[in-house]
Amino acid sequence: MSEGEMARLMEEVEEKKKLIANIRNKPWRMKRRLEHLKDAQQFVDKFEGALGKGKGRKLYAYKVMMTKKWIKFQRDFENFKTACIPWERKIKEVESHFGSSVASYFIFLRWMYGMNLVLFGLTFGLVVIPELLMGLPYGTIPRKTVPRAEQDTAMDYSVLMDFNGYCKYSVLFYGYYNSQRTIGFLKFRLPLSYLMVGLGTFGYSLMVVIRTMARNADVGGGDGEDGEFTFAWKMFTSWDYLIGNSETADNKYASITTSFKESIVDEQENQKDENIHLRRFLRVLANVMIICSLGGSGYLIYFVVKRSQDFATRDDLSWYEKNEVEIVMSLLGLVCPPLFETIAELEDYHPRIALKWQLGRIFALFLGNLYTFLFALFDEVNAKLEEEDSIKNATIWAMKEYYANFTAYNNDSSATAPPINPADIIRGPCWETTVGIEFVKLTVSDIQVTYLTILIGDFLRAVIVRFLNYCWCWDLEAGFPSYAEFDISGNVLGLVFNQGMIWMGAFYAPGLVGINVLRLLTSMYYQCWAVMSCNVPHERVFKASKSNNFYMGLLLLILFLSLLPVVYTIMSLPPSFDCGPFSGKGKMFDVISETIDLDLPAFMGTLFSYAANPGLIIPAVLLMVLAIYYLNSVSEAYINSNNELKKKMQMQRDEEKNRRNNTNSTNQVMKDLEDLLPNRSLAPKAPAESSADNDQGGKPAKVTGKPGTAATGVNLQKDVSLASPNPRIAVTHPPGPRGPGPLPGAETSRSRGRAQPSRN
Amino acid sequence: MGSRASTLLREEEIEEIKKETGFSHSQITRLYSRFTSLDKGENGTLSREDFQRIPELAINPLGDRIINAFFPEGEDQVNFRGFMRTLAHFRPIEDNEKNKDPTASEPLNSRNNKLRFAFRLYDLDRDDKISRDELLQVLRMMVGVNISDEQLGSIADRTIQEADQNGDNSISFNEFIKVLEKVDVEQKMSIRFLH
Repeated sequence: MSEGEMARLMEEVEEKKKLIANIRNKPWRMKRRLEHLKDAQQFVDKFEGALGKGKGRKLYAYKVMMTKKWIKFQRDFENFKTACIPWERKIKEVESHFGSSVASYFIFLRWMYGMNLVLFGLTFGLVVIPELLMGLPYGTIPRKTVPRAEQDTAMDYSVLMDFNGYCKYSVLFYGYYNSQRTIGFLKFRLPLSYLMVGLGTFGYSLMVVIRTMARNADVGGGDGEDGEFTFAWKMFTSWDYLIGNSETADNKYASITTSFKESIVDEQENQKDENIHLRRFLRVLANVMIICSLGGSGYLIYFVVKRSQDFATRDDLSWYEKNEVEIVMSLLGLVCPPLFETIAELEDYHPRIALKWQLGRIFALFLGNLYTFLFALFDEVNAKLEEEDSIKNATIWAMKEYYANFTAYNNDSSATAPPINPADIIRGPCWETTVGIEFVKLTVSDIQVTYLTILIGDFLRAVIVRFLNYCWCWDLEAGFPSYAEFDISGNVLGLVFNQGMIWMGAFYAPGLVGINVLRLLTSMYYQCWAVMSCNVPHERVFKASKSNNFYMGLLLLILFLSLLPVVYTIMSLPPSFDCGPFSGKGKMFDVISETIDLDLPAFMGTLFSYAANPGLIIPAVLLMVLAIYYLNSVSEAYINSNNELKKKMQMQRDEEKNRRNNTNSTNQVMKDLEDLLPNRSLAPKAPAESSADNDQGGKPAKVTGKPGTAATGVNLQKDVSLASPNPRIAVTHPPGPRGPGPLPGAETSRSRGRAQPSRN
Repeated sequence: MGSRASTLLREEEIEEIKKETGFSHSQITRLYSRFTSLDKGENGTLSREDFQRIPELAINPLGDRIINAFFPEGEDQVNFRGFMRTLAHFRPIEDNEKNKDPTASEPLNSRNNKLRFAFRLYDLDRDDKISRDELLQVLRMMVGVNISDEQLGSIADRTIQEADQNGDNSISFNEFIKVLEKVDVEQKMSIRFLH
């Protein structure tokens, strides 16, 4: 084919392709459209391949077809993935009634649910199921059996609630797992898998949190922040004309109202008139008070823990003394956050910033609680380790005794002694299971406290306010106590710390992740219901910051903090001698070296030993540090150039505005330029506008630097505060029925009720 | 019963409508079937009640004004021609039209005319300006009793402040165009024909 023909053919193919893409917009009948479509597709198929060169013709056509199929598959998959996102409608409903900050909590909850689901799959699939299916069943070896002494009470409800009895000797806890190197006919290496899953949990969580942080960091910024025409757009374009369902319309009304309120708060914050010194003083004062209370609570916990160590030596303890630590910790957790909130009113921040401060303070409080708890636990573990030594000797001695007795009674030396019933063997004080039990108990009591608080604090309060209002002297709904508002900071922190508990405890209690998945699932439904039925929207509704990175940052911090104790125990504490998958080894990670020696080919062993050489590791660490430094400076450079571009765009917009207003430019550079060119004004003369301007006299053109604000002297009336209190009722009613309003042109006095929407 | 025959569409009528509004033959027939299905009284015209039966219009805060845009001054019934004339504003803009004859008069569905249609929904007294009071009415309809009056007043002031360029405390049509410059009006204010 000649050049010209090729070019013409290419043009035709392009045209046919365009036709295929636009066939839907053409106002033809279906039959005609189908004919044209078939023709065009045949043409493209036949001749597109011809454009490939020579031998590659068929391959080219094939490649093109595969690309198209791949694109279609990707699009279908994206649709499928979007349809699979759970609870989207629920969250949208909450968002339209309560604003985006409350909805951001639920979105966070949903994200956590997803992550926990993956962790659950890992743990269950690789650790629990193999042990259940391929390991030895209950009752065969000592670690899997309830000891004789406890067997009477093993099924009692109170014992089970404490996670002793049958619970303790089940797959839920570390102690059940056998230390056999391979189990079953698949030769599944359970101890190795246990260790890998434990470390993999942290690795996966780390990766997911950092990836989400990175993704959120992209979203922030852009010129949506300095909104041009925010209010005008909200007024003219916020209604969705395709809504036909009245419930959806209600939601839409609520969300329009909420969005106006959010904008009002944002505006108001920008307008604040302040006395800087007084404010600074108040803020310092507030911070001092809060630090004092934090110190006080820390000391209180320390004092109580010390006392509990004394109590541990005594035996005659009342219920209060036994549970003093937990009670004090819960009380502090309940009392301090409202205290911080009241003190924070001195500071007078924008609600979004105040929320962050509140979160930070409660975070510090909970951190103190957590680490005290950990120290108490460590004391217990150390005590158990000492106990273990003595019991180990006792067990060996008892075995020898048993065999000696047996051969003493049966003089027939060829008979071998029957194995001791597993329930009778003296058991070591498996410290890992104890730790696991502690974490599970803590999680369960945390769940109970949360649900009870919602039930009493929100639901009961709402019921009382609603029904007692009829026979009470003052208006319960408007004054004290009124309906509760959704406590975002408390809930977010509860979620984050709960996840920290799970991370810490999952290594010692594999069943904990399953419990958490159930908890998050029920929490979602329960809290959505509670929010919609018992809470009222916040008085000051504010937009959540675009990036959710604050919550993610907290989560990352907690992840590191919970990684530390687990890694420490893996590295330094010896595993129990008779329970768990690592029993009998010197250190838990000996499993890895055992695997390398026995399972992998010899050269891999030598390879690993070379790689573990400090001479290799230190340069690798140095290289990573250098890479971090480099990437940091590159990202700083990008941020700088971003800011420069934004400034340039801003300047251009201001210039356009000035030009339109036909007034003097405030930009010094432009002014100088104008002076240099004496006879030509840079602003084009718009005749109608300039005459209107001249009529109004020379108004000074002060561009206040904010886009969207008029360049004239219109003052936003400051004496009319934008934050006058709103009625504290839930936004459930759309605006009332629209009476006959003034219609353009029509002067009829016909009364028209609101017609019932019904399909014809 | 009734005179159904007179309501059937004749070829010459279709041609006239096509010339006036720019819709194609099939689009006109499609819209005619929609017209007849709305016309409960079967007398070839629509009244305000017929429009109110459409759910999307009934729950729309600006529903009444939109319905009113169909009826010429002072009349209560609109026939098919009038119906098509108003709908012509919502005809999708096609690519090849953009390059046609720039000296011909602006077609009814140009961006300018679409925006003018929207502008008239807000400008009740037809003085070519949206005043503060008119904005307040719109706000009241969109938001109801959930925001106090002073706050609504401040919102209206702020909106005018954002859009107003010549300082007359109201939004003229040109200022309206400027506000909606970045909004994809051609796509949003167009009927999507599905066949």
